[in-house]
Amino acid sequence: MSSEENMDRGMLMASSEVDPFYGSNWDSIISLNQEMDNSFCDIRSSFAQNNGVITQRASRNGVISLDHCQDSEHRVLGDSLNGKKKRKVSFGASFKKAEEQYCKDPSEDNESPEEHDEMNKKVDQNCSTNLRGKQGVDQANNNAVGAEPSKENYLHMRAKRGQATSSHSLAERVRRERISERMKLLQELVPGCNKITGKAVMLDEIINYVQSLQHQVEFLSMKLATVNPELNVDVDQILSKNMLNSQGGIAKTHGINPGLSPSHAFRGFSHGNFNGLPGTIQPFYPLPQTIFDNELRSILQTGSSSNPPGQKE
Amino acid sequence: MTSDHISSLRNPSSIKTRFAHRFVLALKKLSMDRASSSVSMADRYKRYRKVRAAAYASMASSVGPKRAWARALLRKIRNRKMGSNLMKRLGSRTGLLKKRTVLKPRNHREMGSEQENSLRELVPGGEGMEFYRLLNETGHYIKCLRAQVKVMKNIIDLYSN
Repeated sequence: MSSEENMDRGMLMASSEVDPFYGSNWDSIISLNQEMDNSFCDIRSSFAQNNGVITQRASRNGVISLDHCQDSEHRVLGDSLNGKKKRKVSFGASFKKAEEQYCKDPSEDNESPEEHDEMNKKVDQNCSTNLRGKQGVDQANNNAVGAEPSKENYLHMRAKRGQATSSHSLAERVRRERISERMKLLQELVPGCNKITGKAVMLDEIINYVQSLQHQVEFLSMKLATVNPELNVDVDQILSKNMLNSQGGIAKTHGINPGLSPSHAFRGFSHGNFNGLPGTIQPFYPLPQTIFDNELRSILQTGSSSNPPGQKE
Repeated sequence: MTSDHISSLRNPSSIKTRFAHRFVLALKKLSMDRASSSVSMADRYKRYRKVRAAAYASMASSVGPKRAWARALLRKIRNRKMGSNLMKRLGSRTGLLKKRTVLKPRNHREMGSEQENSLRELVPGGEGMEFYRLLNETGHYIKCLRAQVKVMKNIIDLYSN
């Protein structure tokens, strides 16, 4: 009885977990079990005829168990139960009633007769099998053997075979994977970092690059401070010439510094080396020329005097 | 992220144009305020500081309040400005007022690797974030710094031609 209660509690937790975040959790569960989508839709539509919220909630849970058990993978449901058990969610008594109806009393049901009789029977069977499956899953989880996955709290991660499945290590792994994902994106941003693997080296490169960019800004602002006493030029003219010049600038720098490898160049950057710079950043982005064309045209047509609306990142 | 970069170029209200706009306006204002080309080192240095502050401020304001580094940058500039203003008037009392450290949860700051900490120092506002968010902000910061450098180079070329 205690195990049944546990399972009930797990499913209750699952239901009340599913409800507040109905869309997100549900979708992730569906996406994890792609092959059951069709059967799921059928069952769900049949359940949609129900009255009352409680029974609907219970039915959804019943659907979970049904799906998983139709696939005859106890472990999936067992895992979801296990994983959801770890969550600290309080459950209401009403859910418990509905669950009990499903799992223990197949004969009584306050829903439409035919399909639910079938459902109830199936759910009953599945409940019993789930109990067994769940106990097996428990042992397996403890031993971390047999590819028993368990689910994370807010991100549905699966622990792989032979890896620790405690919630801490799972969270750690999720965090590490997110971080490595970000590092890959940063690798694309920083020029010349395609072949670098390893977090430490990559971080070094990023730090160097940011420092060099900041130095460039400082140097340019110093130059600007000395160079321009005469600012009579119209703002529009400046902007349009800005676009033109940037386009021309890119062409120029392509011509001047074809062979400079960017990482080498910006590492050796010193304040006197201004002309060596322009080739460093541009070569990896040959596209902007055509794009500046369009930009320039649009700006010249519309006139750039008005402040561009909207903030985009 | 490369697609982000390219789409920002295509957009007429991209970061580049917004930044260019604001920066040029700020430069105009600066040039109107200051005395015309005084050669002394101190004045030049002051001008350089103002131009740099204008560059960062216009960058941060054109990025908008959504990014943590932009907010932190603006805050820093404002503090510096207010601090210098107060220093002129109040003298020694401003030492207490100037200090504004971000007291975010300390677990983000401790135990960082050496590089992580140096990255935090580089990126404005990087002190109080956790590492993942720091990486996000760094990516965006790099993008905007690049745009800034390009625009400033173009302006300089424009003036020197």
